Amino acid sequence: MTVAATDIPLAASRGWSRTQATGLVLLLAVVAFALLTPLLVPVDPLKQSLRHTLAGPDAAAPFGYDHLGRSLMARLAAALRLSLLIAAAAVGTSALLGVGLGVLAAWRGGLADRLASLLADSVLALPGLLTVLIIMAIVPNTPLAFWIGLSLVLWVEYFRLTRATVSRMIVAPGVQATRLLGFGPFYIFRRHLWPELAPMLLTVAALGAATTIMTVAALGFVSVGMRPPTPELGLMMVELLPYYREAPMALMSPVLATFLTLLGLNLIAGGRRA
Amino acid sequence: MTILLKAADVAVHAGGRRFAGPVSLTLQGGRPLTILGQTGSGKTLLAQAVIGTLPQGLSATGQVTVDGRCHDLSCPAELRALWGRVLGILPQEPWLSLDPLMRARDQIAEGHALVRGMGRTQARAAAERDLEQLGLRDAGDRRPDQLSGGMAQRVAFAAARTGGRIVIADEPTKGLDAARRDDVAQLLLSEVQKGGALLTITHDLALARALGGDLMVVREGQVVEEGPAARALSQPRHDYTRQLIAADPSSWPPARPRPVKGAPLVECRGITMTRGGRRLYSDLHLVVHPGEILGLLGPSGCGKSTLGDVALGLVRPDAGQIRRATGIAPCRFQKIYQDPPSAFPRHVRLGQALDDLVRLHRLDGGRIPLLLDRMRLSPVLLSRRPSEVSGGELQRLALLRVLLLDPVFLFADEPTSRLDLITQAEVTRLLVETARDTGMGLLLVSHDRDLIDASADRCLMLDVTRPSMAPAARLAS
Amino acid sequence: MMRLLGYRAMQALLVALLVGVLTFLMMQALPGDMAFRIAAGRYGYDMVTAGAADAVRAELGLDRPALQAFGLWFLDLLRLDLGTSVLSGAPVIDEIRHQLGASLQLAGAALILSLLMGLPIGIAAGLRAGGWLDRALLVGSTALRSVPQFLMGLILIVLVSIQLGWLPAAGHGRPEHFILPALTLALGLAAASARITRDAMAGVAASPFYAFGRWKGLSEGQMLRRHGLRNIGVALITFLGLQFAMLVEGVVVVETIFGWPGIGHALVHAIFGRDVPMVQGTALMLGLGFVALNTLIDLAAHRIDPRGARP
Repeated sequence: MTVAATDIPLAASRGWSRTQATGLVLLLAVVAFALLTPLLVPVDPLKQSLRHTLAGPDAAAPFGYDHLGRSLMARLAAALRLSLLIAAAAVGTSALLGVGLGVLAAWRGGLADRLASLLADSVLALPGLLTVLIIMAIVPNTPLAFWIGLSLVLWVEYFRLTRATVSRMIVAPGVQATRLLGFGPFYIFRRHLWPELAPMLLTVAALGAATTIMTVAALGFVSVGMRPPTPELGLMMVELLPYYREAPMALMSPVLATFLTLLGLNLIAGGRRA
Repeated sequence: MTILLKAADVAVHAGGRRFAGPVSLTLQGGRPLTILGQTGSGKTLLAQAVIGTLPQGLSATGQVTVDGRCHDLSCPAELRALWGRVLGILPQEPWLSLDPLMRARDQIAEGHALVRGMGRTQARAAAERDLEQLGLRDAGDRRPDQLSGGMAQRVAFAAARTGGRIVIADEPTKGLDAARRDDVAQLLLSEVQKGGALLTITHDLALARALGGDLMVVREGQVVEEGPAARALSQPRHDYTRQLIAADPSSWPPARPRPVKGAPLVECRGITMTRGGRRLYSDLHLVVHPGEILGLLGPSGCGKSTLGDVALGLVRPDAGQIRRATGIAPCRFQKIYQDPPSAFPRHVRLGQALDDLVRLHRLDGGRIPLLLDRMRLSPVLLSRRPSEVSGGELQRLALLRVLLLDPVFLFADEPTSRLDLITQAEVTRLLVETARDTGMGLLLVSHDRDLIDASADRCLMLDVTRPSMAPAARLAS
Repeated sequence: MMRLLGYRAMQALLVALLVGVLTFLMMQALPGDMAFRIAAGRYGYDMVTAGAADAVRAELGLDRPALQAFGLWFLDLLRLDLGTSVLSGAPVIDEIRHQLGASLQLAGAALILSLLMGLPIGIAAGLRAGGWLDRALLVGSTALRSVPQFLMGLILIVLVSIQLGWLPAAGHGRPEHFILPALTLALGLAAASARITRDAMAGVAASPFYAFGRWKGLSEGQMLRRHGLRNIGVALITFLGLQFAMLVEGVVVVETIFGWPGIGHALVHAIFGRDVPMVQGTALMLGLGFVALNTLIDLAAHRIDPRGARP
């Protein structure tokens, strides 16, 4: 006598939940800030002016100036553009890699499946941050190293999820019936697998983007990531930390920007479970 | 006869709307009461209201009197004190309702120890006694995954009735075949013979007949017929009861088998299958001719669905040959599934799924409205997704979908086992008519002997107890 | 069971191979003057000669053809011959042993702290899924997850040690040095473990066997003790195994911020100084540690839930 599901039809919820919509709005606001700032207030984020050291807001720098007299707003926007770009690249690459391999492994089965799973489990055994650090020692260009390193780390989650979902679904009656009706693999992917995968992949993608932004900032903060004078969230925090008594808002601006970006992504990721 | 439970004016509400009731009922010692109704009739809600297990969002009104004390149903927390002490509540699917990590004996003993306050050793001994009474002497140390379905049912029964004189059973035969259904009826009646009371909620006419006692027929939350089961089922007073009885395969007119004509469409010779190291059947023959309806009967787990898949070429047998009529497109050999919603893409509107098919094979889409009409389906359904359509409608849509391809052979895998009686009769009739009209060969799998008797030209019986099967002759005659 | 152990052995081998490839590439990518710089670091700038640089180059195997070099490199690795740190000159194995203790203390303290916070909240929220605590947990854990660990460390340092002056910001050795780094690590982990516990508990509480237990007349407390905890056990310890990776990443960041002389601190130092043998040794130890831990967890999960083997 557990469920009365057969007695009362429950409407299945579809589309984005309110939590997810909130997250999306937050994320879009951050993206808009990052992209529009150079158009609205075109100031070079690297231009120093010691006259303005830790000065308050003015027309050229609506968020004030940092310890070297650089516009905080311009630097913040540039830092966000960098983080978001790396996140988009890493998420896109890892998703393509993970979903592709996952579908292939589940569809083909057998040895290919076992090998791919073993590889994924082995990559999972290495802490992601460590992999990224090593790649950064190999690849001289830091943003490129972040992109490669994080893609190598993040594909595993897409792979595991896709493989599990697809191997469950391709033996289910729905796919069998569709095959019997004469449809090919492309149709099966589009009509059966993708609608099932898409919401889960969205969650993984949002979490992956959050991981990317956190990693870039964390490594910047402990001085093994981007190099000064590049504007980067973690670097900005560590640079402004000594001045937090004189200019607390200067330190708060990268902190808040990081928090809001991650919050938006986490809301998008977590909103679907109900 | 003693009255053990009396419920008055029981009704179920949600958001200001009444879903079921008001209904009054009385449970007497030694006399079973059965509530019979189809899916969605509200029968389960009524029972849940009486014992205080309604799901969240639903509320009950009414009173229930047990042991001279009256409880108000609008505060179900009060009723919880009765659970396991006066009421023994039997779960719907026992194999899912036992703790998967706990041994059978402990699951029974905990009722004795924690609810009735026995000592540990005493409780274990009592559990051991319960097991022995139910013929489960050696099962005490097993976990639920090591029990067969029937054993799990008996363990759950023993655990449920440790403290209760009133047994409540909701759909106790859900998903069971005929033989197991009779076992369950015996189990339930054994409690009644000791003077206990029994309330059974079921959609199963045969179970209601086997239990006897009193019967209430429920439709749309209202009792439409009430009285002794024997009388209500033989001389129904209400139209709806009559409809239900007429829809039961045992009262269908027997089939009139026709001679086969033409070359075989599908021919399977010397088929051998094993599953999990167990030989299901060996050297089996199966032939289906144009326009012929071949019934395939057997208990669950005997491999009858697998045999159908073998005929379609979906499963490779361990040994044997399959020959199909030559020169016919592969997509004209089709299948209808047991669980209708699982056979459609979950997120795609039904009309879209049909259009995709029409486009793929360049079919005549103009046939869809004609077929809808023939299946007595509303065109509105095409704008919905599979989860928004009833099982019976979906199964007819599945039939419509394969008919677009002009199938020569159709394997119907227990197509009505998840449907209500009246819907089952309708879908089966459509299948039979289609085979007769179009000359399509139909392989109809079922565990219901009456259904096969009334629809098939020939029948094949698979039996797990015998290693090979007997290609039974005609059952109908 | 044997299949499972065999799989774990293959996984360990592949992890070693991955570490070998990555660190080998790292070595190949060392800038040309790296041998000089390492030699300088070891012998002092005045003492660097072409001979010393060649010695360093030979030690790192930079003078051999790539494939052969990799073969030798990987063989050394399989023999667990990790070589010596190019920065300190001490055997890598000794260095790791030295730092591991400090890291384990920190990680252990953080793990216990996070479980003390996460488990009770997760169980309570899961038992009443959709209730106020559940919703509060969802908001709280989402917010907490949006604060990266380095930021959490930063906030705690600024608040607790600079503003309030209650605890030291960095250092090692006295008990009060423990609190801030452990708390930094624990808060993030607690958010995750509370969510996992909540999901597992909610699943069990909604299961038919939980309902049946109630119908048998058991109280909520009896249900939780007899049927709840054991059934969420497998999900929890499996999660614990995956948390290892999270913990390691946290340790790297937190140790660096708080100047904790552990393995994470040393790793960042080694990467910065391009100390390839040290990086290799640490990576190998962490990867194999993950595999070993998850093997133990497989065995424990099998004890709790002996039904069929999970892959």
